This record gives sequence, structure tokens and C-alpha cells, in this order.
Amino acid sequence: MAKIIIMPRQGQSVEECIITKWSKKVGEKVAAGDILFSYETDKSAFDETSDTNGVLLAALYDEGDIVPCLSPVCIIGEAGEDISSLLAGIKNTEKSTSNDKTTDTKTDAPVSAAAAANEATAQSTGTINEGNIKISPRARLKAERTGADITSAIPTGYGGRIIERDIDRVLDEAARLGMVTTREDMSTNIMTPNTATASTASVEQAPAVQMTAAATDDYIDIPLTPTRRAIAASMHRSLTEAAQLTLHSSFDATEMLSLRAEFKEKSATLGLPDITLNDMVLFAVSRVILSHPDCNAHFINNAIRRFNTVNLAVAVDTERGLLVPVIRGAEKMSLSEISVAVHSLAAEARSGRISPDALRGGSVTVTNLGSLGVESFTPVLNPPQTVIIGICAPVTRVRENGDVYPAVGVSLTFDHRALDGASAARFLRDLCTAMENISLYLAK
Amino acid sequence: MPKSQFIDPATAFEPTYIKFKDIPVCQYKKTPEEEIALYGRDNLLRIYRDMRIIRVFETMLNEIKTKSEYHSVKYTYPGPAHLSIGQEASCVGQAYALTLDDYSFGSHRSHGEILARGLAAINQLDEAELYTTMSSYMDGSILRVVEDSQREFGDIKELAICYLLYGTLAEIFGRTTGFNRGLGGSMHAFFTPFGIYPNNAIVGGAAPMALGAALYKRCNKKRGIVVANIGDGALGRGPVLEAISMSAMDQVKKLWDKEGVKGDGGLPILFNIFDNFYGMGGQTQGETMGFDMAARIGAGFSPDALLAERVNGYDPLAVADAVARQKKNLTSGRGPALLDVVTYRVSGHSPSDSSTYRTPEEIAAWRDACPIAVFREKFIAAGIFTSSELDAIDKEIMLRTERICSLAADEKKSPRMDLVRTPDAIASLMFSNEHVPSMDPEREPEVLILKEENPRAVQLATRKRYAYDESGKLYPKAKLFTLRDGIFEAVLDKIYEDATLIAYGEDNRDWGGAFAVYRGLTEALPYHRLFNAPISEAAIVGSAVGYAMCGGRVIVELMYADFIGCAGDEIFNQLPKWQAMSAGLLKMPVVLRVSVGSKYGAQHSQDWSALTAHIPGLKVVFPATPYDAKGLMTAALNGTDPVVFFESQRIYDVGEQFEKGGVPRESYEIKIGEPDIKRVGSDVTILSIGAVLYRALDAAKILDEKYGISAEIIDARSIVPFNYTPVIESVKKTGRIIIVGDACERGSVMRDMAAVISELAFDYLDAPVAALGSRNWIIPAYELEGHFFPQAQWIVDIVCEKLLPVPGYVAATSCTDTEKLDREAKGV
Repeated sequence: MAKIIIMPRQGQSVEECIITKWSKKVGEKVAAGDILFSYETDKSAFDETSDTNGVLLAALYDEGDIVPCLSPVCIIGEAGEDISSLLAGIKNTEKSTSNDKTTDTKTDAPVSAAAAANEATAQSTGTINEGNIKISPRARLKAERTGADITSAIPTGYGGRIIERDIDRVLDEAARLGMVTTREDMSTNIMTPNTATASTASVEQAPAVQMTAAATDDYIDIPLTPTRRAIAASMHRSLTEAAQLTLHSSFDATEMLSLRAEFKEKSATLGLPDITLNDMVLFAVSRVILSHPDCNAHFINNAIRRFNTVNLAVAVDTERGLLVPVIRGAEKMSLSEISVAVHSLAAEARSGRISPDALRGGSVTVTNLGSLGVESFTPVLNPPQTVIIGICAPVTRVRENGDVYPAVGVSLTFDHRALDGASAARFLRDLCTAMENISLYLAK
Repeated sequence: MPKSQFIDPATAFEPTYIKFKDIPVCQYKKTPEEEIALYGRDNLLRIYRDMRIIRVFETMLNEIKTKSEYHSVKYTYPGPAHLSIGQEASCVGQAYALTLDDYSFGSHRSHGEILARGLAAINQLDEAELYTTMSSYMDGSILRVVEDSQREFGDIKELAICYLLYGTLAEIFGRTTGFNRGLGGSMHAFFTPFGIYPNNAIVGGAAPMALGAALYKRCNKKRGIVVANIGDGALGRGPVLEAISMSAMDQVKKLWDKEGVKGDGGLPILFNIFDNFYGMGGQTQGETMGFDMAARIGAGFSPDALLAERVNGYDPLAVADAVARQKKNLTSGRGPALLDVVTYRVSGHSPSDSSTYRTPEEIAAWRDACPIAVFREKFIAAGIFTSSELDAIDKEIMLRTERICSLAADEKKSPRMDLVRTPDAIASLMFSNEHVPSMDPEREPEVLILKEENPRAVQLATRKRYAYDESGKLYPKAKLFTLRDGIFEAVLDKIYEDATLIAYGEDNRDWGGAFAVYRGLTEALPYHRLFNAPISEAAIVGSAVGYAMCGGRVIVELMYADFIGCAGDEIFNQLPKWQAMSAGLLKMPVVLRVSVGSKYGAQHSQDWSALTAHIPGLKVVFPATPYDAKGLMTAALNGTDPVVFFESQRIYDVGEQFEKGGVPRESYEIKIGEPDIKRVGSDVTILSIGAVLYRALDAAKILDEKYGISAEIIDARSIVPFNYTPVIESVKKTGRIIIVGDACERGSVMRDMAAVISELAFDYLDAPVAALGSRNWIIPAYELEGHFFPQAQWIVDIVCEKLLPVPGYVAATSCTDTEKLDREAKGV
């Protein structure tokens, strides 16, 4: 009966041994006491002697092979004995043990996975722009919480790193332009603003980025002004981040135009302001929008923030670019109050004296290109607001019965992440109804 | 350097000879008849039985190790097993002569000693005492497993033998039902109720600890002697030679008080060498050592050659005779003593030992000389034993061992610590965290004068406890209550509270410590409570470990932190480990004072806080103000954990600049582990470790005045444990942090803290956490130290260049990334 010789365990810290020498060849006779093979642990060298007589029928490892302790090394039996079933049994158990071959393939796998991961990182850093921006974790966190655009920050940290004070400056600039809601709005109290104080003096010189114009015969490069830069960043962010689309509709402005004519004629004697068509549009928005809470809202990271009040942002064209002052609590104001507020804000914006506070915190924006003859357009959302209302120029339309009437186009852009088309359409419909019946709504 | 001893040049050069006394070698000559008369049949039978129990136990372990089975029991044990087959007579003979008052410490090859002493103790205790011991130890949890395993034990003594075998084997197998909850294992098992103190995996580790135990017995007037069981190989180890030397120091007999009753005179310690000719594979006699016979070394340590003898360790009665005589020597104050017990290990060093260093003939010759067989034949021939009764004993031992092996191998009855269900089981044992003002409240502390009369305390009463006067002007240094005074006051309070507290180190007495921290203690304390140790750092720290594990409190001092290396094993392997390795049975109320130097160059100015902080089980503190030093020292001295107390020689003389009420005279504690905000700021946090606090303050002033940057300064005060919360809160506020200390930067505590803070405060960081230490050089001469240790300007540079760049700032030192890369690439 053939016998399997196993690798002895010489001390429990030893898990495997190296076969250093075979003293018997397969087929050779073996007597009890003969040395079969020599092997080494990490500490010592040993000889394995046979305790039976017979013939070495199989050697399962070569010299130099590593053999796990207690696993079969060779088979001794009678010459010509069939050991195929023994060998099969050994193979089965070997599959579950880890010899050097299986460990080889095992180590292969993590290496290639790691390489793949490396490649992936390399690619992602190559393609994502922001990945190349050096920014401190604190500055990044602040940018995330406030929505500040890190691409427009001018780094002043060590080695060109954007640090907290650089984000503060982006926020100050954007807030001044009404492009973001306020810093206080977005940040919870984890950031203390006092970091800026110590460094203000030194920072003053820093923003002197090279703003020299380059010119040839064919063109001239005008460096971006800080306002242009902020608008560019905000608009780009709006179009890359929001899922925005525009619905177009119009309303019969007969009543609004006649009311406008009456105001023009009589307001002075009644002591009313000169109430314009746009003032009436703003009034209508302020009365309708609270019934459509997702339109008077911000889309923020994981929530839609519905406002209980209407902070009406009004786009104003100025020499330095687009500014958007905010009328706060518009739903509580009368038409004449709205009119007074918007005209004074617009004047301040044009003069350049407007306070940054007046440019923050809008919940919805109205932009009016009607005076420039635009019949239809796609206003760009002012993030994180969910809608922007565009007002167009009046055009003459004919009804089926042949009547003509002045129709004013309304272009409503909305963020499909925040609300769906039907909801937006319902708001647009209600708004048009209100504007068509503006005299009645004055009672609201 | 006591003044009472005059060193006279007239006699210093007198011509004479040093004479050595004879050291007896194997002079035991009693006949069997004399032995029978002396011991009686029962004791001789028991000696035979105990040797057999050890032989069978070790044989069982060898089978388990090499074959994964013993008789009916199948079990794979991967841990260590350093067997002592052949050495049974030496430990059974020794144990015969010892009683429960005697403490023995051993080595990695101590299974035999544990069983021998345990069996002797079982014989000496009456049944009621035995049962109380077993049922109270670990709440009786070990006893219950043994009792449940069998219906009948015959008597309590038989139960106790099973208990001893099981507690030891379960410990070896790493089970929670082992004597030390499986946390010690084969090389560290012990059982103090039977006088068996820790065994040690570090060769010779027992010697300094046994010295400490002897100090405990001597200083606290406790009965009994201490035995340090070491091998002949251990005689090559410095700490062993230090311990032997220190145990023989003249002052114990010549200068220490004589008033007590028992145990006065020399230290009651026996260095017992189990001399088996090999230190693992190296032959001490003829190869690795030059002493020819190990007993000879006694001649090098004292004029009486440590009363050394060499005895036949293959004859248990020769050993019992020698140990009994040495015990008498020790209890009559003639210690220390030394025995060279010749024996031989037939088994390998461990089961993986193929005995390549000795011939099969040598092993066979010693096998033939088997002490058990020789003993058996001798007394059968003398007519008091019959071979059949001995055979019956043998059979009983085999059956019992097999039963105990089966029980200890059983994973259900002998479970392992469940670190899944109780993941903090080991963590909770690393520190005992107890508050024990006196280790022996029953006893009145021995002192020489009243605390109020202490000359230094009287002087301190006039000192300014806050450094500034009403107008904010700093008092002159001579008027200040300083950091060294803060440490002194805490120690002074404690010596009048805890009778067990002793303090020693180099130049502690008379000189008052090289830096005068103990000035005034010499007047207050008798010699044995405050003494000058030899320049033997390993023995100083190692003995403190032994002193504390016996139940005393001790403060030891290393004059310079640079000498931590000289006591490396004692600080890294002994002091931190025994609380957890004993499963919380032992406490370790040791304060290790280490002083960080300056002006003294490369080997006397290093801050090695990182080395101690790295080792789990040590508390590490580094106060920088008088208030903190006193409060932390008081906390350390009230605790039960080992505390490495770093002090800086730069600031021993600073006054209290922060605590406006001044340093209180009365005792108070500062919780170890709590950092302290020393200056409030908003733009950058500076976390300082140790004396660098004052340079950080200078830096904060420059940052404020020149650059309008407001720095918050936090003094770490402690390193282990450390509460990061106040630091993280500060970083949330400032967004920037630099950690500064005087240690070389690579691998420093500063770097470690930087990594932790980066992890915990990542989102709040506006710049990478900066760590600033000394350069990775040797420390140059004092005049060049400004280029080596962190300076205020270096801190300012890092803040203005890297943390909060100031446009146009020109740094005085290079702290760029390129410079950093280059330094690291060069390893400097």
C-alpha cells in the first residue's frame, strides 16, 4: 500500500519549507532510515528520513520549491503500484491550498487593479478642469457651501493655492453683483469670518493681476473686468449645471396698456409714481408666484428651498454690465410701492453706488427686453433660483373674429431639476391671466 | 557621596592585594540516609511527583507543538514553547526551600518553575486557604472551569493541582481562563498568590525587576526573599550585571537605617542561575563567555563574592539545601546572594531547534543522567520507595495531564478573548487609570523632619508664585517660584502621604539631583527612601518596575533623556507591558523623570519624547510652566500608571507667566492628556510641546506686531494620552496650524500629531498642517544651537510663507517644498 510522505512542521512559526535537495530519484529504492530529501525552514535545515521500505513512486515538488507544512511531498510504495487515485486526491486538496503558483496569480490581480485605478485617476484629473486647481480643503468647503466659483478665484496661498481669503473675495465680488445669494445665506456657522481681517492689508496688492490689453492690427484683447468675470462665471455655471429650458407664451396687453396710458396722464395729479408696464408685470409676479412655491425657490444641494416671501430680482442694464437688484417682500407691497422701489434701485445700480446687500437674496428674477423690440428669448437662470421670467415687446395679433390686439410675449425659463414642464406651464398661464386682468389683480 | 565617608589620600595608595574567597563547587555531600532523616518519606515522594509532573507537562507541550496531538487530544498551538525537559530537579529543589512570602521571577523557560513553586505552595497552604485563594482569583472564573470538568477531585489539594496545571496551560494557549487571561502566554505566565511573579521573554529581564522587588521588601519591611531566576546566557546582558551590581551597593548595609526589625542589612535577593550551558545555541562555558564557571562572577561584585556557590542542579536535594542556606543568609541581612545551578536542557531551545550546535552523543549522555530516574533509583535502592508505587504516581500524572490538556484545548470551555464582541477588551487594560493617593494608607511615612520645617519649603514661602508684579513687570529670577520648585512641591507633598514612595536615581541624595529639583529632600527623608543609584539606568528603571508591581510607588530619574537608550528594554518592554499582560492584576505607579538637556551637545540635549510615545502602555507628559509641572506631577503621583515625565533644563528656572493667581501652595492636579490654550488668537494655531512654548510666544508677538497675524498658542502639556478636541476646535477657527517641539523632526510627536490633525480637521484646513522640529542632525555646540533647535523666526517664516503667505515676505530660513524634498532625499 503506497504511503504519502508529508512535509513535517518544525515549529509552529514555520508555515512552509523549501526543498533543498532530493536524495532519492523517482523509481529509486528506499530503505527505512534513508534520507529522502533535505529541506529548510527560515531557521534551520533538516533531513527527512524514510520510515518505510519501498520505491519512491512520485515526487510532487522539485528542489527549490516551497512546500506548505503538512502537505504531501512524495509517495513511497511498491514498484509498479497504481497511485493515480492518490495523486488525484492530492490534486483536489492542492487546489484549495495556496502553493506558489496560485499566489502568483493572486498577486497579479491587485497589481493590475491598482494600475487601472491609477490610470483612471490620471484620466479624470486630465479631463476635469477643477481637478487641476490647487485649493485648500477649507476654501473648497466654503466654495461648496456658498456656491462661490473657484475658477474665478485668484490664488494667494503658498505655491499658487487658493485659500479661504481668495474665496471670500470671489464671494464679495459676486455678492456685489447680485450673482450669488449672500455668504451668510449659504454657510452654516462652521466658518468664522475673522480670518480675512488679519490679511486684508496684505491682500490688497494681490489682486493686481496683469490686466494689460494686448492688441494687433486685426484685433484688440480687452481684459475682463471683475464684473464681466463674475457674470461670465455665473452664467457659465448656470448653463452647465442647471437643466434649464424655456416656455413661451403671451398675454393680451390691452388692459395693461390702457392702464399705463391712464397712469401716464393722471399719476402726477394723484400723487402716484409714473407706473410703467414693467412695474405692473412685477406686481403681477408678486401676486401670482406664491401659489407656485417651486417657482419662488432655490435649488440647493439636496433640497428645494421654498421662500415664504417674494424677493423679486430685477435685471438692470448698466454701463458696467448686468446688475440684478432685489425688491424684498414684494408680495406685501402695493403697485406704487413696487414702482418706487424698482426705480430707485435701478437708478442706484446705474450710478454704481448700489450696496452689495441690495444685490443679494433674490428668490425669482424678472428680465425685460421689450423696450429693445425683442419678441422672444431664452433668459438664463440666475442660480440657485428655479425660474426667470422674460418679458418681450408688444406685437399686434389678430383673433379668429378679426379683432386685433396687442400681445406681449412672456418667456419663462425654469430648472427642470426643480420642477416639471406642466408646473412651469401652469405658473406661466396664471401669470398671463393675471397680467391680462391687471385691474382686478390690483385689489389683491 | 555622603560626607560621613572620608576618602583619604593617605590610605588610597597603600600597597596590598585583593584576595578572593573560595567559591564552593558541588560540595553537597549528604548520604541518602541523612536525606531520608532530614526530609522524610512524604516530602521525598512529593519531590519525585513534582519533577514527574513537570516532565510530563513539558513532554505534552512538545507533542502538541510538533505533532498537534497528545494522546487523545488534537490541538494546534502556534505560540512559543521553550521547554525545560532535563531541568526539573533544579526548580523543584528551589521551590522546596521557598515559602509564600518569597517572590520568584523567571524567564522565557519557566513553565517548570511555575509548576514547582505552585506545587510547593499547594503543599504549604491548608485546604481552606487554598480554596479561598482559588475562588477569589479572577472572581473564581478559572476555578469554575476546573470544577465543572470533573465530578470528583478526591480532595482540595488534588483540585488545586488541576487548577495549577490548567491555569498555566490555558495561559500558554492564550485562553481567557488562563492565569493572566491569556494576555501573558507561555513566556510571561505568573500567579502571584503563590509567590510566582512575572516571567520574562527578554533574556535576563527578571534580574532588575527582582532587584526592585527586593527593594520593596527591604524599604517596606516585608517578610521573605526574592529569587531572580535567570539562565547562564543572561550573564552576558548589561541589565543583569547592573542589577547584580546595584543589589550589592555598599550603602544598603553601611548607610541605610538600622532601626527596623527583620530584613535589615543587605537586600534579600538571590540571583539564581539555571546554568544549562547554552544561551539558546551559544555555549557560555568555552565559547561565548570567559567565566569558566558562572559562579565565578560573584567575585566581581562584592568582597564576599555574593556568597556564591555552584551546585548540582540534577540533584533536587542539593539544590534545596543550597537555596535554604542562601535564604537564611538573606533573611539575616547578608544579601545579595548568588547560586550557579548546573543543569541541562535535553529538549531543544524550542521545537524548531534541530540541535545543530551539539552532538547526539552529548544529549544522550545527559538523558542517561536523568535527574528523575536517578532520584527514583536512589530511593528505591535506599528502600523507602517501591517501583510500583512510583509507577502508580506516574500513571496518575499522565491521566491528569491528558485531562487538563483536553480541557485547555477545548475552545468552548476555555474560550479566547472575544475581540469582536468586546473590541476594547485589551484597550481597557492598557492603563489602570486609578486614583490612589497612598499605596499603603495604613502605614505612617518614614520622614526625618516635619514638612513645615523643610528648609526649602521655608525658602519657597517667600517666592513669587506669579512671575509679574502689579505693573506687569517680570520679577528677577531669584525671587521666582520656578518650574523645578513646582515639581519639588508635588514630590514633597507625596512623600508625606504615601509611605511606600521612594525616589532614586543618579545623584538624587545630597546633590539633590543634577538640576536641584530634589534640593531639600535629603533633609526630609531617610536613606532608603531617597538614595543615589549607581550609574545603571537599566537597573534603575527595571527595579522601579519590580518595586511597583509588588505594591509600592516610586519615582526614578534619568539625569538626561539621552540615557533612555541605556534603559531601553526596561522602558520599552517592561514598564509599559505588565499592567495589560497581567490582565490588570498588577499596577504600575512609576514616575520616570527624564530631563532634556541643552548646551551639552549631541548626547546630552535630545528630546526623545517620540520614542516613549510610540510604545503602548506609557503615559507621557512634558510640562512647560511651574503650574502645569506641579499639577501634572501630582496627577502622575496619584495615579497607578507609568508616566514618563519630561522636563527641560532650559526652563527649570521659569516663573509662572500664565496662571494669574500664581501656583497654589496646596496640592492640585492637572488631568494628564489635556492641552491648554496659553494665548488666544484667530489666524493661526501654534501647538507647542515642551520648552518651545516660550519661543512660540516670541513668534506670536512678531506675527502680531509685524504682520497683523493673530496666533493662538496651545501648550500640549501631555503627549499620551492626548485630547485632540481643543486643538481641532482651534483649527476650525483659525484654519491653520503649526506644531512645534525640540525633538528632531523626522518621526517626531509633532509629525504624528500633524497626521492626526490633518485627518480630523481636513475640511477646515486652509493650508497643510506644518510640523516643525529640530534639524535631523547631531546637536552642535551651544553657540550654534540656534541653527538646530526651532527658533521663533522659523515659526514666523513658516506662517508667513506657507500658512498665510504675506506678499513680498522674505523668509530668513528656507522652508520651501524643494528644500524639504531635498532634505528628505538626503535623509537629513
